[in-house]
Amino acid sequence: MKQAAIHNYLEQFFRANECDIIENRQDGLLKVKLTTDLDKLMMNRPFYWHYIEKIGGTPETATLTLKTNQLDEGGEFIHFGSPRLHQIFSSTKKLAPYIRLYHDKIQSHNMSTPLAPWLGINIKVSYQCDLKKDELLSLGLHLINGTIATHFHDQMEKLTLTPKIPNYCYTLAPLIKPFSGIRRMEVFIQEQIHRENHKWADDAKERWQNDQQLLEHFYEEDNEKPEAYLQEKAALKDQYEPNIHVQIINGGLFYLDSSVFIQ
Amino acid sequence: MVPEIHFDRSWHDDFLSRIETDGPWGNWDLYQLAYHAEQELLVPSFNGLLAPGHLPQLKPHPHQIETAQTVIEQMHGKAILADEVGLGKTIEAGLIMKEYMIRGLAKKILILVPASLVMQWAAELNDKFYIPAIPQRKSYVWEQCDVVISSIDTAKRSPHKEIIMEQDYDLIIIDEAHKLKNHKTKNYQFVQSLKKKFCLLLTATPVQNRLDEIFYLVSLLKPGYLGNAETFAKDYRSGKTDVKNEATLKELINQVMVRNRREDTGLDWPKRHIQSIDIPLNDEERALYDSLTVLKDSMLIQGFSLLTLQREACSSREAVYMTLKKMLDKAEDHALPKMIEPIMERVNKVKKNSKAEKALELIKQIDNKVIIFTEYRATQLYLQWFFQQHGISSVPFRGGFKRSKKDWMKMLFQNHAQVLIATEAGGEGINLQFCQHVINYDLPWNPMRIEQRIGRIHRLGQEEDVHIYNFATKGTVEEHILQLLYDKIDLFENVIGQLDEILTRLDIKNLDSQLFRIFDESESAGEIKIKMDNLASVINSEREDLEDDDYHEASGNS
Repeated sequence: MKQAAIHNYLEQFFRANECDIIENRQDGLLKVKLTTDLDKLMMNRPFYWHYIEKIGGTPETATLTLKTNQLDEGGEFIHFGSPRLHQIFSSTKKLAPYIRLYHDKIQSHNMSTPLAPWLGINIKVSYQCDLKKDELLSLGLHLINGTIATHFHDQMEKLTLTPKIPNYCYTLAPLIKPFSGIRRMEVFIQEQIHRENHKWADDAKERWQNDQQLLEHFYEEDNEKPEAYLQEKAALKDQYEPNIHVQIINGGLFYLDSSVFIQ
Repeated sequence: MVPEIHFDRSWHDDFLSRIETDGPWGNWDLYQLAYHAEQELLVPSFNGLLAPGHLPQLKPHPHQIETAQTVIEQMHGKAILADEVGLGKTIEAGLIMKEYMIRGLAKKILILVPASLVMQWAAELNDKFYIPAIPQRKSYVWEQCDVVISSIDTAKRSPHKEIIMEQDYDLIIIDEAHKLKNHKTKNYQFVQSLKKKFCLLLTATPVQNRLDEIFYLVSLLKPGYLGNAETFAKDYRSGKTDVKNEATLKELINQVMVRNRREDTGLDWPKRHIQSIDIPLNDEERALYDSLTVLKDSMLIQGFSLLTLQREACSSREAVYMTLKKMLDKAEDHALPKMIEPIMERVNKVKKNSKAEKALELIKQIDNKVIIFTEYRATQLYLQWFFQQHGISSVPFRGGFKRSKKDWMKMLFQNHAQVLIATEAGGEGINLQFCQHVINYDLPWNPMRIEQRIGRIHRLGQEEDVHIYNFATKGTVEEHILQLLYDKIDLFENVIGQLDEILTRLDIKNLDSQLFRIFDESESAGEIKIKMDNLASVINSEREDLEDDDYHEASGNS
């Protein structure tokens, strides 16, 4: 992530959280006054908030000066590895795990438009042994006809979406319940994973077996295996056992005009 | 076969209940930012390192990056890091740790280091790697913090030990792991009992040729890798200490150990300029030194004590005085005091210290920061006083100082004083790259300690050439030692790791006791010289063999 991209990200983050932007220089300096909510989330000062709330005082939220250049004096230097950026990354996930949006299509005439319900989810698939790799999936499920669209999020970013249903629009009732929608998506993901090549897992198992054999050999004289043997055996499992983890990052309901996905 | 797929379904329930209650729903901008964050944090491939991208200010060296990658991809996260002193093993360990944390492969991490290094590790990991590593001070830290640094001595004791055993560590790092060479010690057994998913053992001492040590160190990491004790002995030991099937063993070890040497790093190392300075004793000093030789014929002071006195006489009259005084205090009859009193008179007659004057002259000439190493506390105090008399500011430094005092002295030296007078290499981990001049005021007989001294300034981060000045008083034991170490075996030019390897091959466990025997058993200076020459030629011929081996190995691999 380049420094300019980080600056943009920070700016969007604080704007989305309705913070006052006191200074915003394109050469990489951002000065913001946090809202109460964000102060509580980011500044780790529970005693202050407890105190203010107890005495009913007016809180003074923190002001952050974040720089993405290294020229300015003062301010907190933010780069891809800085803990502050990672704190912000993880707070975005906490702040918006669930969403419901309506397609706001500019209407050519005042005819009422039906919006179809979609379940959209962003998913991280992690392939893990002693090594690791991730994949991001974004899927959308049409809750009436069961169509599954891939790269769903990218499509959504191109649309104008609002949290309130626009005038002259109405939503179609889903035939598939959200719960079974999620199940269908799981099956879809499972099938997709099954079609992939899993040599990585076979290789890891081979490494595991090799080390396991060495371990057996090391303790072969012992009739009753010592604690250390069991410990080490468990460690090898932790180290090598191939696993796939599927985790939902965020998701929600999207009501879309029928023109969006022409299958 | 497809591995098991685990679905994390913790998201579902809340989602379904929000549909029921019609919200609350998140902000679309934040929703997109969360997705973008995830895109940025994605681990795109099993291979390669992501850590450097997270550490734009670190600028690791190529050999450090390569080591981190080798450990993760080829050694599967269990390795001995055995770089030579000063090549940045801590940086390598930090990179590996960071990589595992970024990839989500390690969360709970235990770092065991000598007590004196706990704070330094904490500072490096926090400042350079943004790893929130916590020095263990309270017992709740074990459970509540993910990355904990402690000394083994603390960790192995109750109640800590029991709490540690209940933790499920992903990565365990042990610094100065050569201290775990004896499998019968509590420390060894403690480390053995830890569950090690990923594990790094850091050591600067090459263990290649010490059969038992390497066996037990590797077995800590990967039990069975070198067989069990019995098969290992059968396969690789011939006679009592010799190695057989050495090539096979080396190859095996190289798959669990990374050892970068200075010369292979491809870095442009600053040069070492070595200068040995012969210092003639003045008449009074000479008389004092010679009066000690007389003792040899008496039966009262002999062997090691005598040699110590001789070496002290080469350093300062203060050093001899302290030792003689101790002898007198302990003396039970009159024979010894009678012997010592005339020497004490000689001590009193010494008015000038030739070495100190030479040091003063040199320091003025260098006109820059200088570290002086001496073997004796009394000399250290004397030098501090002597320099002060001549308007030169100095700070003392001892291995026994607490960490905070060491750091304080280092800062005083860096900012306010010209000279640091140290009695010890300062132990592990004190780095003085801002200084380029070292005076070995008197030489230790253990070559490893000489390398440790030089290693304080000749290490990564040193940008200028370094200058080493070795003092030796003429016509004394010192002269013999300096000749051996400096002229005959090129100790200062060569890398110490190599010398250590040679000595192990020759089964010379302890060069200093070897030297002591030569001095003790020789009747004359001529005899000493012949024996020293012999020792030097044995060492040198072994070195040639070793270099031949390395050459063949290198050509065999290509």
